Amino acid sequence: MAITTRQQEGFTMPELEYMAQCEDITIVPLHRMERLELMRALMLKRSNRCRIVAPEWLSYEHLHNLCKREDQPDSMFTKLPFHYLEIAQILLTNAEDDLIDSQGVRRLIQDLREVRQSKTREGLRMLNPLQLQMDNLSIAEINEIRPLFAHSFDMLRRLDELAGSSDVSRQQSQNMFADQSYSEFDDTFSSSYLNPE
Amino acid sequence: MSKPGYYDIDDILAVQERVPCVLQVDLDGLGSAGGGGGTSKVYRNSRWTLPFWMADRLNEEDYVDMEVSPIFSKRANRMYAASPESVQLRSISQHYYQFGLQMGDLVPEIPHVLRNMYMQRIQKIARIAQQDHNIEAFDFVQSLDRTEARLLKLCQQAQGAIPEWQQNKAYTLTKTSAIP
Repeated sequence: MAITTRQQEGFTMPELEYMAQCEDITIVPLHRMERLELMRALMLKRSNRCRIVAPEWLSYEHLHNLCKREDQPDSMFTKLPFHYLEIAQILLTNAEDDLIDSQGVRRLIQDLREVRQSKTREGLRMLNPLQLQMDNLSIAEINEIRPLFAHSFDMLRRLDELAGSSDVSRQQSQNMFADQSYSEFDDTFSSSYLNPE
Repeated sequence: MSKPGYYDIDDILAVQERVPCVLQVDLDGLGSAGGGGGTSKVYRNSRWTLPFWMADRLNEEDYVDMEVSPIFSKRANRMYAASPESVQLRSISQHYYQFGLQMGDLVPEIPHVLRNMYMQRIQKIARIAQQDHNIEAFDFVQSLDRTEARLLKLCQQAQGAIPEWQQNKAYTLTKTSAIP
């Protein structure tokens, strides 16, 4: 990058303006900042300007209850924030000192995740090409099972379409060979079954 | 209808599967195809095993009578239905499902056979994807056909993404194995 004569001789005005911004100044805050985006809170937290108040669900007791409820046979997924896994991870790494019993919380989150994981696996038993309902699943969990469900839905849909279309084509061929009875038509198929080679 | 997808490499590979056919006409000078001399005649009712894409077309034009591939014979279907999880699909056909989808128009029971097989086997695939390094599953993984193997790989990647991110490995650059 070329340096102009002006820069060699001293600072440019924009550079000075930038440097002036480092000076202190008195302000009147227009907001009481109690709730703000996690991203901003983390910035403040990192520069030691704030303490993060752990969300209600991210407490040992609450998670313990959820774990118990989640563990019950035939229970639905318990209600958790859509991004619970990510938020827990972020807070556990960046604001561990603001959480009460962070080790316990970490353990419970892991337990919760495992129970829910085995539940989604159970859900696979009910797989059909029409619909799948798993309420309260978080985005990370959905993302985790997305390929499995997307591909199996696709395959089941194609098989169902095929089953439907071959029923139709059977009926059509029945009409086409009106003199040939259905059972005769079946015989042609089964004879080729019996002698595959 | 499940017509071969023109750009779908799996469909293209699947229609390479061979099916038994019975010749419906006499063919002059095609002896090489029937196993005889190059200029000899091939007679009606001789048996040929042709790739599905060729057999399907010739069948439509009544040159040959296509039969059901032995991998979808009634006996085979019954055998697979007994224990779908222990079927060695890969050795039966690399493209079992794709080929089945192609054949499905001709044999009405194929969709049901495939469906049972698929439902049983993806549950095991899902289980395997959730555990890593399962030695018992090794035999099963070896038996997967292409469709299933690809699904397993995708599932394992998706399952691995969360632990990887939790251990902060997701966005760490590492040295390639090519560099010693």
